[in-house]
Amino acid sequence: MPNSTLDKNVLNTVIGYQEAVKVKQELEKTGSDFTDQKWATANTVAKLHPKRLTLEVSELIEDTATTKTFRLVTTGSELPPFQAGQYINLFVTIEGVETARPYAISSSPSERGYYDLTVKRVEDGFVTPYLLDQVEVGQQLLSTGPMGTFYHNPVFHGKELVFLAGGSGIAPAMSMLKDVLDRDLPYQFHFIYASSYVDDVIFIQALRELADKHDNFKLTEVISRPPEGFDGLSGHLNSQLIQELVGDVKSKMYYVCGPTPFNEYCQAQLWDLSVEPRFIRIEANGPPKHPDQLGNWPDAVSMEDEVTVTVTGKGSFKAKVGEPLLNSLERNGYSAENACRSGECSLCRVKLVSGEVFNPPQAHLRKSDVQFGWIHSCVAFPTADIEILL
Amino acid sequence: MKHYDAVVIGAGNAGLTAATALQRGGSKTLLLERHNIPGGCATSFVRGDYEFEVALHQLSGLGTEKRPFIMRKVFGDLGVMDKVEFVQEHELYRIVVPGEIDTTLPASWTGLRKKLQGDFPAESDNIEGFMKLCEKISLECFMTLPRARKANDEAILKSTCPNYIKYGMRSSKDVLDEFFDSSELKTILAAYWCYIGVPPKDMPFPDLAMLIYAYAAFKPWHIKGGSQAMSSALLESFMEAGGEVRFNCGAEKILTHGEVEDSKVRGVVTEEGEEIACEAVISNASSIITYNELLDHDKPPIQVSEDFKSRRMGTSAFVIYMGLDCTPQELGVTSASNFICSSQDENLVHDGMQTMNDPVAGMLTCYNFDDPGFAPEGKSIVSLVCLQYGDMWKDIPEEQYAQTKYDFAEKLIDLIAKTFPKIRDHIEELEVATPLTMMRYLNTPDGAIYGFKQNPQDSELFRERIEAVSGLYMAGCWNNMGGFQPTYMAGESTARAALKQIKSSKLNIQQQQSTSTVQVKGNKESDNA
Repeated sequence: MPNSTLDKNVLNTVIGYQEAVKVKQELEKTGSDFTDQKWATANTVAKLHPKRLTLEVSELIEDTATTKTFRLVTTGSELPPFQAGQYINLFVTIEGVETARPYAISSSPSERGYYDLTVKRVEDGFVTPYLLDQVEVGQQLLSTGPMGTFYHNPVFHGKELVFLAGGSGIAPAMSMLKDVLDRDLPYQFHFIYASSYVDDVIFIQALRELADKHDNFKLTEVISRPPEGFDGLSGHLNSQLIQELVGDVKSKMYYVCGPTPFNEYCQAQLWDLSVEPRFIRIEANGPPKHPDQLGNWPDAVSMEDEVTVTVTGKGSFKAKVGEPLLNSLERNGYSAENACRSGECSLCRVKLVSGEVFNPPQAHLRKSDVQFGWIHSCVAFPTADIEILL
Repeated sequence: MKHYDAVVIGAGNAGLTAATALQRGGSKTLLLERHNIPGGCATSFVRGDYEFEVALHQLSGLGTEKRPFIMRKVFGDLGVMDKVEFVQEHELYRIVVPGEIDTTLPASWTGLRKKLQGDFPAESDNIEGFMKLCEKISLECFMTLPRARKANDEAILKSTCPNYIKYGMRSSKDVLDEFFDSSELKTILAAYWCYIGVPPKDMPFPDLAMLIYAYAAFKPWHIKGGSQAMSSALLESFMEAGGEVRFNCGAEKILTHGEVEDSKVRGVVTEEGEEIACEAVISNASSIITYNELLDHDKPPIQVSEDFKSRRMGTSAFVIYMGLDCTPQELGVTSASNFICSSQDENLVHDGMQTMNDPVAGMLTCYNFDDPGFAPEGKSIVSLVCLQYGDMWKDIPEEQYAQTKYDFAEKLIDLIAKTFPKIRDHIEELEVATPLTMMRYLNTPDGAIYGFKQNPQDSELFRERIEAVSGLYMAGCWNNMGGFQPTYMAGESTARAALKQIKSSKLNIQQQQSTSTVQVKGNKESDNA
């Protein structure tokens, strides 16, 4: 390649070339070699989106018989900001198995000193019993930075907000509510909270007090299994009840968060009320428990069937069809990056080299993933012997 | 220690084409990517029913089947032509300056001339002359200029590049002013500068000429499944050829032998701390991060720091991805690509790129206009873009970041809504990407999307080959033009250079081995004697 500064350069024939070279020489005199910006890119990004956070349990708050709030602080500076409704994915090692679960932050985004995670016991669960029974104050935990798309987006979510929460689905609602109140946002926040039992309603005292104090916050408590003589609202959040509670149902933004059956039920009720999909936000909640009941589940395949999972170049193991691939990988000592564990974030994307998996609708696969055989391992169910690439 | 012929850092466009060309060219190649998916900019993400194209607006260089252009050959050589489907756009763009201009240009060279001559009959001859010049200078840049430079022969240059000699170093504005009287016509023809971010007064005329000619004569294209489909196809081709890829695994260091001014690549340390030996490293990371952070020397080679000093940071972008529950027709979309400006003043537009004030120019791309299959039935996918410099975003306190981005998003939507007033009524999904988002996903200083600022001095004509670190190659927009076609091509051509080196070093090793065998034999013989 000819040197631009050499007299012999043929480009000197081009009108204006020599002047342009002079401009370049001038630029050289005043420019920077960017060494003063060393690591600036990584540091700027890490302030907002750290890959990992090392957290410490500073306080354990017993909310109800089944629920605790874990107050987590960081040993370093302030925690990264988040949008109310977002979660962190908490990494844990239980019985030698390295796994993780995402939990919505229940504290206010205005609070930069700690994150609260409000965790309700899942009776047949693997991680919640560990967190509730074994984690102690002072213990360190590793997590992702805040993530997720379940939050109020001021550009198009409007100012009339209705949150339908079931059980532990209160965590993101609590954060959103605190955000509205802390920042004095001009929103109407109607929180409809469905719980099974009167003695297991998380944060109820605090919520009632806030509702008394703030005109723009309305609280409705609904109990699905009321005790005898209960005089509050009871039953399910059916369309009729929602209509009665909300009034003009259209053009409000609905946030739905609870166990998967609760989410699906609420969605159906809102559709019955002709609420358009753009007004309904639903938080994903783990892999489907009964994928075999979903459409397109292959005939003659049972959840209990056993298949062989081979990890190219690394080994193989037996797994149940009904267990999400990511979970069986972790149980067998393999790991894949992950965060939402609900099919959405795509961090656990792996290549299916051969065999078949069932991808439920909640797997937010890209069109080209389907074409080239990439799957979201957190919600993929191996319906035959498979080989994957990690 | 594992050994590869080549390690490619980053699976962006140039990283993917480099890795694929290397592996298919017979070099054992490892591709490292810090994210979980290939593509860099050339990716997509899913929200609800929608899969959003992140960065590709109009793919150039493909040509039609009947009249193919270079990218068909490049993609063919990389083994992906049967893995992707392309969709042709029928308009170049619609440009709107409310109250002043509202014109749609067809994606056809003769159609473009007729349309412009019909709208500006008084400038009919000027249009004819200008378009001829665009065509000629494009062909010169593409065909004859590289030959004349290689030969470094003035006579060849004079006989084969007469238009380049006269116009090659002039600014777009200068040439437009020479040819035309109508300011509207000049604004209409210069609209593509909004893609590049360098105003016509600073944009080399050949860049504008090539944009107009390449898009009009060889058509603008979309890719089915988005640019992600191309990224995944390239990766598939790479893996089919035996290439190895690691996701969620960036490079931590590039290891070299020797002093900084005369060093040779020997390997790479991955994010996980694993040391890997290799003959060549092809970096698809920005040159700033490659030389200032990845290279295992405290300071970059002098040639590099001198080169850096002559450059200026390039533009980033602010993008709003929208899933709308209405059809393009209901929204009023009549062309996939739209430029919307509240002023014809290029200085005002360019100044606006450096502030958080109301943007003066924006783009709307509707991906399902030419092929309804790009969005769910009855719905639309659009993205709104305005180019913006990233440095001011770095100073925003973290806790104000979210609000700042939503506030600016409102301003960009306001601009676009002047032309598409129903847009706010149909938003079902919406994500906002700021220059910091670009920084996060591209790992580029200031979230630059095209590398350094593409002023005339940034062009390849003013670059010297960096030779201080043997075996280290840069592939991407940081020492080439930005955009899809240029980066795809840059990766492929970088791979060719690296392949040559790898092959010759293998040959050297073989020769050394055979020479030493002879010597050993010789010694033995002498021993015997």
